Amino acid sequence: MKTKDLLMELSRIDAPSGFEKEAIDFIEKQVKDLADVMKKTRLGGLIAGIKSGGDLKIGIFAHVDEIGFVISKIEDGNFARLETVGGVDPKVVLASEVRVYTRDGPTRGVVGLLAPHLQKPEDRKKVPMYDEIFVDLSVGSLAKSVRVGDRVVLRGDPIELNGKIVGKALDNRAGCTSLIKSMELLKKYKTRYDVYYIFSSQEEVGGPGAATVAYELNLDFAIVVDVTHADDAPSFYEKISLGGGPVIGFGPSVDRNFWKKIMDIAKRNGIKYQKEPLPGRSGTDTDEVQIAGIGVRTALISIPLKYMHTPVEVVDPFDVDETARLLTHIVVDLEV
Amino acid sequence: MYLKELSEIPGVSGDEDEVRNFIRERIEGKLDEVRTDRMGNLIGIKKGRKPKGRLLLVAHMDEVGLMVTKINDDGTLSFAPVGGVDPRVLPGKRVRVGEDKLGIIGYRAIHLQKSEEIKKPPSYENLRIYMGFSSKKEAEKEVEIGTYVSFLTKYTEENRKATGKAFDDRGGCSILMDIIDLNERYDFDVYFAFVVQEEVGLRGSAILMEQLHPDVALVLETTTAGDNPEIPEHHWATHLGDGPVITFAHRGYVTDKRVLQVLIETAVKHGIPFQMKRRTAGGTDAGRLARRGRGVPAGVISIPARYIHSPLSIMDLGDYRNTFELVKSVVEDGKIVEEVSG
Amino acid sequence: MKELVKKLTEAFGPSGREDEIRNLILEEIKDHVDGYKVDKVGNILAWKGQGERKVLLDAHMDEIGVVVTNIDEAGFLRIEPVGGVSPYTIFRKRIRFERVTGVVGMEGETQDEIEKNLSKLSFDKLYVDIGARNREEAEKLAPIGSFGVYDSHFMEVAGRFASKAMDDRIGCAVIIEVLKRVKNSDITLFASFSVQEEVGLVGASVVAYDIMPDEAIAVDVTDSADTPKAIKRHPMVLGKGPAIKVMDKASISDKNILEKLINTAEKKGIPYQMEVLIFGGTNAAVLQRTRYGIPSATVSIPTRYLHTPSEMIEPSDVEKTIELLTSYLEGG
Repeated sequence: MKTKDLLMELSRIDAPSGFEKEAIDFIEKQVKDLADVMKKTRLGGLIAGIKSGGDLKIGIFAHVDEIGFVISKIEDGNFARLETVGGVDPKVVLASEVRVYTRDGPTRGVVGLLAPHLQKPEDRKKVPMYDEIFVDLSVGSLAKSVRVGDRVVLRGDPIELNGKIVGKALDNRAGCTSLIKSMELLKKYKTRYDVYYIFSSQEEVGGPGAATVAYELNLDFAIVVDVTHADDAPSFYEKISLGGGPVIGFGPSVDRNFWKKIMDIAKRNGIKYQKEPLPGRSGTDTDEVQIAGIGVRTALISIPLKYMHTPVEVVDPFDVDETARLLTHIVVDLEV
Repeated sequence: MYLKELSEIPGVSGDEDEVRNFIRERIEGKLDEVRTDRMGNLIGIKKGRKPKGRLLLVAHMDEVGLMVTKINDDGTLSFAPVGGVDPRVLPGKRVRVGEDKLGIIGYRAIHLQKSEEIKKPPSYENLRIYMGFSSKKEAEKEVEIGTYVSFLTKYTEENRKATGKAFDDRGGCSILMDIIDLNERYDFDVYFAFVVQEEVGLRGSAILMEQLHPDVALVLETTTAGDNPEIPEHHWATHLGDGPVITFAHRGYVTDKRVLQVLIETAVKHGIPFQMKRRTAGGTDAGRLARRGRGVPAGVISIPARYIHSPLSIMDLGDYRNTFELVKSVVEDGKIVEEVSG
Repeated sequence: MKELVKKLTEAFGPSGREDEIRNLILEEIKDHVDGYKVDKVGNILAWKGQGERKVLLDAHMDEIGVVVTNIDEAGFLRIEPVGGVSPYTIFRKRIRFERVTGVVGMEGETQDEIEKNLSKLSFDKLYVDIGARNREEAEKLAPIGSFGVYDSHFMEVAGRFASKAMDDRIGCAVIIEVLKRVKNSDITLFASFSVQEEVGLVGASVVAYDIMPDEAIAVDVTDSADTPKAIKRHPMVLGKGPAIKVMDKASISDKNILEKLINTAEKKGIPYQMEVLIFGGTNAAVLQRTRYGIPSATVSIPTRYLHTPSEMIEPSDVEKTIELLTSYLEGG
């Protein structure tokens, strides 16, 4: 599948943390002919392994889950309250359509905002928080089936915008796309190491979906692929650009020697890249993977993404492809 | 005591190589095995005369510092903290950029500040490192984003007090090295772990348990005093001069009762002055060790110091010596291992 | 069951000092399990039955409390919390230390200062009066490093039970009863009574290391939002049976386990409610991340007045929880 199409297909799938099955099933179909071994993990992820008979194991991770909500309480008159799964800014939820997954199937809902005419002037200055927000379920045919705990996803159908792809969940379906593309590229090469492409779960809630796999596989090296902020940064950080290529992180949670080698491999293969300082925690699965078991030598490669955690996340397919290229070259060229 | 040399070496979390090399050179001949693990922790093993158990002693090599995050058009550097660095300790300081370059953190002249500005605390948004460059191009030749920056403070001793940077936790590292220098063998294995990245989330110690499987652990730290005129006595954490600090509880962990008992009894038995840590704020690697592998009963002994996490801390040398004496007695007595093996 | 709950909740067992409650629980379970051990950090791990499938039930033994950090010349104690004790909850209440009980007072040299302290209360402004006349006397009764708990007794009020430490002695009671009742199941049942949950899920982080069960279920308490103007986004109430937890701030329950629990409840006609908790966490969060992962979930007892001296539960919820878990284990 072409990168753009793959991004959009993955964006369409609703799979918030803890409910990754649909995304995993789709990815499984995409990669089953590209791997020697496939295995579902205990916590809802997928491992696709390419064995070489070598003595080192490299894991490449991308989390499959997206942010979302669960129904936390049903109110009279077909309304319900939400609790977030991962960090969702209440500001992007207002005046949006949602999909609620009930036992009997999906149903529609609307997160409404009172029309300006009926609002008091002071209220217009405030941001409603989740205690004030509610979902109107009356627009869906299965409203009566909605229960506490049903998962909810903000609608954000993907579109192409001037060469970029816009949609929900590109954090981290963009990462997943890079992994799939890397597996396709890898078919042309021989690898000297056992490579595991791991589509992991529950990153958005700080869960152990990746670290537990790193432990299980006893990895020597791990590359975590996630997204990072494009075109926006705190004033004392350099901005990352959309279209500037994969962003290679540096800091305590990244193994220094591994990082050096990755930089060399990127340069030698003419891969466009950017750099990102990580003075503390990276805020990705890298942190927990690094300290899994007896430790793993980790690296973090991120895809630039605008408007993170909104239904209109933006990625440049060039960055996704370049990331895939970098991953493949690392696996093929790494000298240990 | 290696506090002087250890204190002056740059070793911010994630950049501990030089500290590790210094320690490794000096402990190599004195232990049965010395190795570096995947994250850069330095692990030394002294095998026991008998298989009576495993004691793990831990101190962390890293110090808090800064990392360059942006090179500005005017040639100055913007930066972010690595570990807990209060920006208020930064204005007017000299720093080491990278391995050996010099920089300063200036601040706007008071004459040029409006009166509200004078009261406003500095922040990472407005602080800058100046290295003498006048353009981004010039600066980029010598520095890059991601470069580590450490405090630059000469160690001094006067009036029975030591001043310098990174006493947290080169003090603990020095104590471990002094114990290794005793060249004793015990009835149980002793593991000496000089760990990395404690200041950014107790990270190095996280991978010790699966490698070492100790029966009991003792963390050697350097901890806050808080004994100054601005703070009433009943809010002090510790007091300089009162001896090694024994912790009964801190963030995320209550220390093992049996281990706590042994530490106190040992101090009393050997007539070593000691104090209890009187605040439960802050955490140590003990909290991490307790949550990994099969877990381990852990205790914490600290040297008290003032103004930690700043470029200039103060330690009482008598406290250092008594802390060493206490740790030495604890290890020599062996009760710490017996108590948990029961 | 009432006697068991009373015994368990009244026992002394703040995080890190669980000796008394540990011994009590060992007494209760020893005749009903095939074996047990106490691990390095004080967790109890017991097992019963043979079967390929391994299930772990966990409840934490520790309760929240305080620790003495300072004693002044006049014999007043300074304290800091151990676990989530709010200064407001403890203010003017009694605290029970091992050898003495004291009253919590607050500083305030002027009316203004008193009001200011009350509006932004912190442990710095509190002290405990154990009647000592000076530091020496106080040190004999409650030296620095002494732990204390709410001084509170079990009570029954209109059929409901209230006491300190329902969190999580009620979970312990549930598991003890399950151990007594479960039969004919073709699984190996593990039960852990873990330590230091309240200071950060410590004990449960290591309790499953050697056994690595196929699944783990934490039994803990959750909020009950049926009091005046209670948390509006919480659906849990007393009397609707065990709360099957979807998520809290620390973890999301494994959906396969949730489905099986719901199916068991519906098949056996056991009332249940779905739970979403907008704060807090349970041991399921760390059981889940043990080694190569253990699918985990939480089943909760709705409780009013969490983290206070009078946590209140509905006994029928407890009964139904025991029934649900027993059926779950027996149904396979």
